[in-house]
Amino acid sequence: MARRGKNSIKPLWIVTAVILLAAAFFGSRLFIAANSEPFRTVNSLDVKAYLDNANSLRSNIYKIEGEVNDSLGWSPSTGRLIAVSVNKGADLLPVLVTTDFNHINIQKGQKFIFILEVDNKGILRTKHLIKS
Amino acid sequence: MIRPLVIFLAATTAALAQVPDAAPAQPAAQPAAGSGNGGSPNGNSANSGGGSSFLGKDMPFFSPGSEIVTWDGKNWNINNNRVFEARFEKFLNAPPSTAESDREYQATLQRIMEKLTPGKITPQDMDEAFRLLTTAAQFSDDAKLCDSIANQVYSSWLAKKNNARLSAANTSLEFERKRLEWNAKVTAEGSRLDAPGSKADGMAAEWTKQQQLKRDMEMQPLLTRLAEITALLKTNQLKSEVAELQIKIEFQALIVQHFLQRRFQHAIIGTRFYRSIFADGDSQLRVGEDAKSLFAKTTGLPPTMGTVDSLANEIIRDVREGVQAFKFLLEKDEMESASKRLAETFIIGEYLPEIRTLNRDDKRKALAFVQKTNQLISALEVKDYTLAETLVGELKVTAKDVDTSKPTAAIETARQVSAMHIAKARNAAVSGDKESLETELKAAMEIWPRNPALTEVSKMIFSQADVQSRALVDFDQLLSQKNYRQIFDDKMRFIAATSMYPEKQEELRKVLDDMQVIETAIIQAQEIEKRSNYAGAWESAEKAFQKYPNDNKLNQVRANLTIEASEFVQALKKAQDLEGKNQPGSSLSWYLKAWNKYPQSEFAKEGVERLTKEVLPDAT
Repeated sequence: MARRGKNSIKPLWIVTAVILLAAAFFGSRLFIAANSEPFRTVNSLDVKAYLDNANSLRSNIYKIEGEVNDSLGWSPSTGRLIAVSVNKGADLLPVLVTTDFNHINIQKGQKFIFILEVDNKGILRTKHLIKS
Repeated sequence: MIRPLVIFLAATTAALAQVPDAAPAQPAAQPAAGSGNGGSPNGNSANSGGGSSFLGKDMPFFSPGSEIVTWDGKNWNINNNRVFEARFEKFLNAPPSTAESDREYQATLQRIMEKLTPGKITPQDMDEAFRLLTTAAQFSDDAKLCDSIANQVYSSWLAKKNNARLSAANTSLEFERKRLEWNAKVTAEGSRLDAPGSKADGMAAEWTKQQQLKRDMEMQPLLTRLAEITALLKTNQLKSEVAELQIKIEFQALIVQHFLQRRFQHAIIGTRFYRSIFADGDSQLRVGEDAKSLFAKTTGLPPTMGTVDSLANEIIRDVREGVQAFKFLLEKDEMESASKRLAETFIIGEYLPEIRTLNRDDKRKALAFVQKTNQLISALEVKDYTLAETLVGELKVTAKDVDTSKPTAAIETARQVSAMHIAKARNAAVSGDKESLETELKAAMEIWPRNPALTEVSKMIFSQADVQSRALVDFDQLLSQKNYRQIFDDKMRFIAATSMYPEKQEELRKVLDDMQVIETAIIQAQEIEKRSNYAGAWESAEKAFQKYPNDNKLNQVRANLTIEASEFVQALKKAQDLEGKNQPGSSLSWYLKAWNKYPQSEFAKEGVERLTKEVLPDAT
């Protein structure tokens, strides 16, 4: 009976290599993604707390990501007041986009990430926004 | 001849038996009675007064024309006074006196009268009649009147016996008187026998003188005794006459008393005894002047025992005829005449057997008629024409001869005049003329107080007034409670009630307008609800609720819809709550949430717009 040669590649080695390659791929992707979020250090707004009592959140800076639902009003001196749908449309938050962002087109259905400050009256005043 | 006396007796009986009750109220009745067509001839004496002692002050007087008795300054209607009515009704209800004892009593009286029949009477019959008096007196119906007669007869007999003794004494005295007269005569003549011859004139004269003295001395006691005897005779004669006259007067008074008491059988018995005892032909009544005048004027005859006897017999016959007439009229269903004849006969012959033995059923028929007529009189007096009309109808059925023309005329007149006033009252009520209404109702009531039409109209008017005033009170109360729903549900009642009050009408109009809004909101909410648009339905109800928070029905609809549209309602309420707390950010979020759930929501839209305006005051 003939004996098999010792230089043949074992399947276990192949599987291990594939897994390692995949892990490296997804890890790199995740790393890249994490590093691409510019407001990753800003806390997300606790919508429930805001709805219950916005006064408790006054002067704080929060981040929300949502879709523009409607434009409620526009003031040349103050800016635009829009309704932003968050939590997959479960809640609508009024966001005041100040005149600083007049150059940005904001339309219904667009998704944005807002950096917001809760002012004295509990209005979410935009500090930054980027399209998400 | 008998009628005036009968009337007098009726008047006497009624007057003695009753209490006057109409004298002050009928000042005109007395002269009318005195001048009545059928007035008694003794009317003048009756009214003359003057302190007569017979039966009190004045003689009773009865006027057949007006059927009014006048006595002692008082007036009574013989057919319409309570005592006569009571007495007559008692008689009509009483059982007939047909018991064995009643028959025995009447038989006894009859036997007494038979024993005393004039022309056939013997001393034995008289003794038997006297014995029967005591028998008759034992019956209760007799009221011991026979005893009175017996006592009077006995007294008369005693008086007669006394007179007999006086007569015997007078006979002895007469004999003595005659003897004395003879002795005196003999004495006077004896002196002449012993006269001297022709002796000397002087001696003769002396002798004559002595003889004269002697004769005088002998005659003196005789003459004295004769005078005494003569005086005694005269005294006895006078005594006898006085005693007899006294007993006669007593007996006559008893007989007249029985006559006036309408105990005619006793009066007859009395007269017959009297005439048997005093058979001297002197039957003149020695009673008071008034009584004499009464008999003389009513009968046209001098007052004698014969007059009393014949009148009593005549009355008994008259009563018998009256009873027969009553029975005949009863058979013919002529109740009015029958009742009147019975009443007249009863007044006169209350104690006579013909009256006392009348059948009770027959009397009850008369009673029913009398009661109905009395009731009719009372009904007309109190102007109860409804009852009067009913009674007239009943009387027509039971009494063929009843004359209903007067009550019918009174009823019809009252009906017409009352109807006229009621019609005017109705018009006044419709036109709201309270003054005329009251006047006409009062006039109608005065004419016919128990007019059913008046009661009906009054009830209607006053119930209307009552309903109206009650409705107005309710309206005010509900208005103060803001219970507009109740007002709306009863709107027809309040519309009618406030028709005469412009101010309240305006208040009601406002309430009904508001309620119309509420009702519209409710209907709208219910229609929206049918499309499963609960938020929209709730909002419709809520809008009305905010304006009219006290309407129960709206509250109920709203509460039900709050459950159905709970998320929308909750979001809206939260938004409003936070808006109230000056948290426009959070509030706006909730408004947006609510708006998102019901995009047609006006509340949410208004909230959003309001807060947007607050955030962006210069928004365009």
